[in-house]
Amino acid sequence: MENALVMRDITKTFGGVPVLKDVDFAVGKGEIHALVGENGAGKSTLMNILGGVVPMDKGEIELFGEKAEFRTPAEAQARGIAFVHQELNVVNDLRVYENLFLGHEIRGALGMLNKAEMIRRTEEVFERMDVAIDPTATVRDLQATYKQVIEIAKSVLFNAKLIIMDEPTTSLTQHEVESVFRIMKNLTVQEGVTIIFISHKLKEVVDFCDSFTVLRNGEVVGTQPTRDGSGALIDQADIARMMVGRDVLNVEVYKQREEGEVVLSVKGLCVGRHVNGISFDLHRGEVLGVTGLLGDGKEELARAIFGDLRHTGGTMELNGKAINPRQPAAARKLGIGLLPSNRKENAIIKDLSVADNMSIVTLPQYRVGPHLMNSRIYGTAEEYRDKLNIKAQSLGNLIGSLSGGNQQKAVLAKWLIAKPDIILLCNPTQGVDVGAKNEIYNIIMELAAQGMGIIVTTGEAAEAVRICDRLLVMYHGDLQGELDRADFSEESIMILSTGGKLN
Amino acid sequence: MGTSDIAIKGAKGTGAFGRFAHEYMIVLITIGVFVCATIACTIKFGDPSTFLNVQNMVNILRASSVMGIIALGMAFVIISGNIDLSVGAQMVFVGIASFSVINGLEPYIGAYGAIFVGIATAVAMSVALSIMCGFIVTKGIVPSFIITLGLSYIYRSLSIFELQSGGINIKTKVFQNISNSSLGPVPMPVIYFFIVFAFYLYVSRYTVLGRRIYAAGSNAQATRLSGINTDWVKIQAFALLGLTVAIAAIVEGSRMNSMNSSSSGLGYDLNTIAMAVVGGVAMEGGKGNFVNVLFGIIILGVINNILTIMGMDVYLVNAVKGGIIIAAVLLLRSRGKLN
Repeated sequence: MENALVMRDITKTFGGVPVLKDVDFAVGKGEIHALVGENGAGKSTLMNILGGVVPMDKGEIELFGEKAEFRTPAEAQARGIAFVHQELNVVNDLRVYENLFLGHEIRGALGMLNKAEMIRRTEEVFERMDVAIDPTATVRDLQATYKQVIEIAKSVLFNAKLIIMDEPTTSLTQHEVESVFRIMKNLTVQEGVTIIFISHKLKEVVDFCDSFTVLRNGEVVGTQPTRDGSGALIDQADIARMMVGRDVLNVEVYKQREEGEVVLSVKGLCVGRHVNGISFDLHRGEVLGVTGLLGDGKEELARAIFGDLRHTGGTMELNGKAINPRQPAAARKLGIGLLPSNRKENAIIKDLSVADNMSIVTLPQYRVGPHLMNSRIYGTAEEYRDKLNIKAQSLGNLIGSLSGGNQQKAVLAKWLIAKPDIILLCNPTQGVDVGAKNEIYNIIMELAAQGMGIIVTTGEAAEAVRICDRLLVMYHGDLQGELDRADFSEESIMILSTGGKLN
Repeated sequence: MGTSDIAIKGAKGTGAFGRFAHEYMIVLITIGVFVCATIACTIKFGDPSTFLNVQNMVNILRASSVMGIIALGMAFVIISGNIDLSVGAQMVFVGIASFSVINGLEPYIGAYGAIFVGIATAVAMSVALSIMCGFIVTKGIVPSFIITLGLSYIYRSLSIFELQSGGINIKTKVFQNISNSSLGPVPMPVIYFFIVFAFYLYVSRYTVLGRRIYAAGSNAQATRLSGINTDWVKIQAFALLGLTVAIAAIVEGSRMNSMNSSSSGLGYDLNTIAMAVVGGVAMEGGKGNFVNVLFGIIILGVINNILTIMGMDVYLVNAVKGGIIIAAVLLLRSRGKLN
């Protein structure tokens, strides 16, 4: 197969630290090629070099058979490279076609916008991609998938030959991911576009990509097709092993435990139109999973227990006493903790240090009189840094200096210091790489063993299967089914979460 | 490794001076302002001592003390993610109420008793008004910009109505001693300023409230989900500002021996915001260091002072001041990009 891109001997150091070491990376024309690796493996740096965002120290790039080196993103763009970032760079208040042509508007006589032409060309692009979106719809009214599609459409509009997608599916549900990939596949087949796909989600790599390259510590571990000679798909565990250098996916994290008495009892809980009369008991030492598709109420259920959303019906009892927390501060005092989803928006206080983030929940306990003892804050932070194996150069650095997995552990630590009776973990491994995922699972097991009641909401069936004792599956706000560990299977979870019944 | 990390690393290798400038830009700007003022003074008068003498330095501090006190409270409100445009009018409103109490009570309980009750009135009233303001802002979920703009009209209008656009004089002479006396060579207003400064610096660094104000201003949602009542934290930041407004009303009233309903406190809102912002407090909240705010207050004080010494046309003073503020903040921002 002809190569769309060849990168040879790419080397890059930042402040004396080598980030890429003689990396060779080749992508065949018209394929969807996954680039995987743990956080800090060098994926983004490699792609930033390709996109003209950072210069390389050494090496050469060949694009469609011609030598290339890009000093600015504009130069890369001119040669047909498009970068689709993780964050959706769409303007919600503009219409679809206005977003597509933002900064490249077509003007007619007197400098007036030529709307008809822009709408016509937008329709043309959507036709080529085989999607049905109204070019004149306001972006705010579209589903998340379509916003992602608009990002991709921009690249198509400007005739990109090589599209780099940086974790484009993090905010999408399973079903939405499939439709985005269907569109990407169309582009490669019909337009001969080549796509480089950066992701943490190995399932997507295996299911949708043609081949993949694994980076570890700035070096290429290997490049392989996702199917072997006989057409059999590669095992996700094999890719994970290449990423971290040891077996992780098949490691057994679940540990059998003694369950204690009921700590939280929820009866007929309703939250607006999101949750319809859910009842369950949570025991000390139990890991109770709540799963379901995005928007089916698992998140709202957790937030209502934490007092972040008002429940509109039902009752809750904690340690046998009726509770009704009106806001998170009240829930905290009752002994309830919550690790929110979407770490960046909901959990990270970016202007505070790692230690301050870890101590924010428990600030009053570091006081002597009115005086906040920084030595106590750091003492406790160091203790939990060691307990949770948080890799931080200094606890006094801003929290943003940590990798995703370590940030998540720091956020978890702030609640563990508070020693709550129950903790609600919403998507606890969101945006966390494979190695750190297992560490978080081990922490959850450890907490349960100490007698904490734990509720884990997750959209990943595989995650629920690995750590939960019992699983509630929600569908459109209803409790569609309850599974005991013995009956767990990704298949039965999928049936229930799509509204089916088990026999 | 995101692109932002790369930007930091690319820019940091600028040697020892670069790192020093990065850390202490505000100090360099302050020195720059002093040097420029000295040069300007030398060119105009052939002698730097008109600007550069001990008495003038004391003057700068004394002239900055009232607004400086308010700027410290303002810094807390801005760090908490809000802003207050009503401090000038609130100072006059609170001052008039307080001085009316002093004048009214003096014949009955004597000067000292009346002054004590008057100060207590100013503090209680100002803090209460600021807490009310904080409640409207946080519970109504309306930008503080709008609410405090409205409140400033209300306070100013009520003050002017009460005094029919005139002023109020404090009858007892004892009251004047609060501000028109000195400790050695240092005028009392400067002492008051540094006491408030020390207290607020302490609150910002070593109290639970201080830490929570930074957290709430940086990411209110994450702070709320950490089990903290962020509305109450922001209301308390307003209360800290209200306290400084009360102190400013007393110090200002004592210094001038009066408070005028239509001319006192004019421009205090934007001047105190400028002091905080030149001192590196970020308008988006979450960031700010009180030592740097002290420098911001001094920078504005020096600018006001030198423009007066130079005999600059009063109608032009604000144009020059505006230019210098913009330049200073741009310099700070160039540093901020590295963060």
